[in-house]
Amino acid sequence: MFLRHVTKDISAYCHGELSSDESRQFAEHVIACAKCRTKFEEVKLGIKLAEQLPRLAAPAHLWSDLEPLLEQRTTSAARPSVAWMWQSKVAAAAVLLVVAGLGAFWIYKRTSHDVQKPSWLVRRLDGAPKIGSEQISNNGRLAIGEWLETDGGSRAQIDVATIGNVDIEENSRVRLLQTRADEHRLELVRGKMSARIWAPPRLFFVDTPSAVAADYGCAYTLAVKDDGGSLLHVTSGWVAMESKDRESMVPAGASCETRPGFGPGTAYFDDASPDFRAALTKVDFEHDAAVRSVALTSVLDQARPRDTLTLWYLFKGSERKDRERLYDKLATFVPPPPGVTREGILQSDEKMTSQWLALLEPIWTNNGGGKMVPNKLADAYFKVKNGMSRRLKEMAPK
Amino acid sequence: MVMAEQLIDGRVIEACQQGDRDAFQLLFETYKDKVFSIAVYSSNGDRALADDITQQIFLKLFTAIRQFRGDSEFTTWLYRLVVNACLDERRRRRRLLPWGEVVAMKKAGERKPQEKHYARLEISEAVQAAIGELKPKFRLPILLKYIEGLSYDEIASVMGCSKGTVASRLNRGHSQLAKRLSHLNNPEVWGD
Repeated sequence: MFLRHVTKDISAYCHGELSSDESRQFAEHVIACAKCRTKFEEVKLGIKLAEQLPRLAAPAHLWSDLEPLLEQRTTSAARPSVAWMWQSKVAAAAVLLVVAGLGAFWIYKRTSHDVQKPSWLVRRLDGAPKIGSEQISNNGRLAIGEWLETDGGSRAQIDVATIGNVDIEENSRVRLLQTRADEHRLELVRGKMSARIWAPPRLFFVDTPSAVAADYGCAYTLAVKDDGGSLLHVTSGWVAMESKDRESMVPAGASCETRPGFGPGTAYFDDASPDFRAALTKVDFEHDAAVRSVALTSVLDQARPRDTLTLWYLFKGSERKDRERLYDKLATFVPPPPGVTREGILQSDEKMTSQWLALLEPIWTNNGGGKMVPNKLADAYFKVKNGMSRRLKEMAPK
Repeated sequence: MVMAEQLIDGRVIEACQQGDRDAFQLLFETYKDKVFSIAVYSSNGDRALADDITQQIFLKLFTAIRQFRGDSEFTTWLYRLVVNACLDERRRRRRLLPWGEVVAMKKAGERKPQEKHYARLEISEAVQAAIGELKPKFRLPILLKYIEGLSYDEIASVMGCSKGTVASRLNRGHSQLAKRLSHLNNPEVWGD
């Protein structure tokens, strides 16, 4: 499966022309194969560009120019019945109205796409979920711009095009923002969802009030609180939580909190101690620099080897003084390889950070002997390192 | 457009085959924008030429529709007519002007400095220009996919090739678009 490159199938995958099995195999390969992933990004850009092609309006004079020419060709044509003539004139008038109306809408929206809104299949799991104001009995369709809402006794499952599905739990409100070949996007403003996505990185996104979850081929749960903060928990693969100023990469077995006004905090493993997590919360979301500094000391004191994930990504957003403390702690758990210097790391030397990262990464993705990776996709993800290594190199502290 | 296309049923086509002008106008109003769009993109943005091509296509359709036997979907049959007309016109122009195209759309990226912030409309214009630079075998599947919304099977039927060939040509077309417009691969440009 991993030997055969899939570059020739990229457009077909993006357009939903592959079968379910083929799509899954495609996604598994692309996640693991750097060559195909590079090509995938290129074709995805081509698709995004092609989607900007507008359908043009034919000039109004075209019919009047055409009529005399048709006249010359109709002399021998048989005439239809009077009844048909009347019906066809009504139909012609109707279609003119429809075309004019849709044309005006199209110009107003300045979009290049067909006016029929794409939609996703929604299955009722429990109770009476609603799409807009309509309750769905068993199945429904969620179109772009429409809200799906569950109450305390209802749940629903959404098919994310052909790349996965999402369970919407009780008391949740979610909207479909976009579905196209190069981007599928939901907005979760309240409640909780569980996503299982078998797609190459960065095809599926979930907007929340305080950050955006970008899928990297994974399974995760995402809960949004009433204050707009959210909590991400990843069960396989990786997810990036992003805001304008912050980004946090979260692997399986780890979580990430986000808050309005701050964006995502730093990822931490779920088995980290409560004190470690409490201190990390202060480092991530406290305004007072002195409080943050004390909290960082606590984080460093309580860190285990597995918490190098948190230390590594804290390093990225820290000042020089804190970087020095973080480097020293990281080095006690995993000494940098020969040739990698303290100053090089503090200066974010790309080669050196990559070399050190190669030693750190296995600690984060082997699950510390704990939970097993739950599915084949995640297995492929972790076994073939070059896939994620590339992304992690991009994310290395700078 | 979907609603309009649904009005084109067997009765309308049968009436067109009998020379009914009103039925033909219904057909014209339904498909004119799609046909015109393909004609514009196939003639490198020359709208006057696209006018002529569109007119010729509907004139031909008016006569040729009598030969439509319903062996395939009407739309497939129609788009085959459109694609052939566009290819014929291109061949005709090449015979007349062997040194190249009559009107060349401005190359993407030449319009304004690359540093300039592109609005969506400008992206659209850049894509239209880049589409004009693709070979017809890569351009036409893209037009049938994005302007007409056809499936790979339908495109294969229109182009007279296999579904695999359609997938391959779309892939190469997308890649070429991406390479030509790589400077647009920037979130700031898209306002993302």
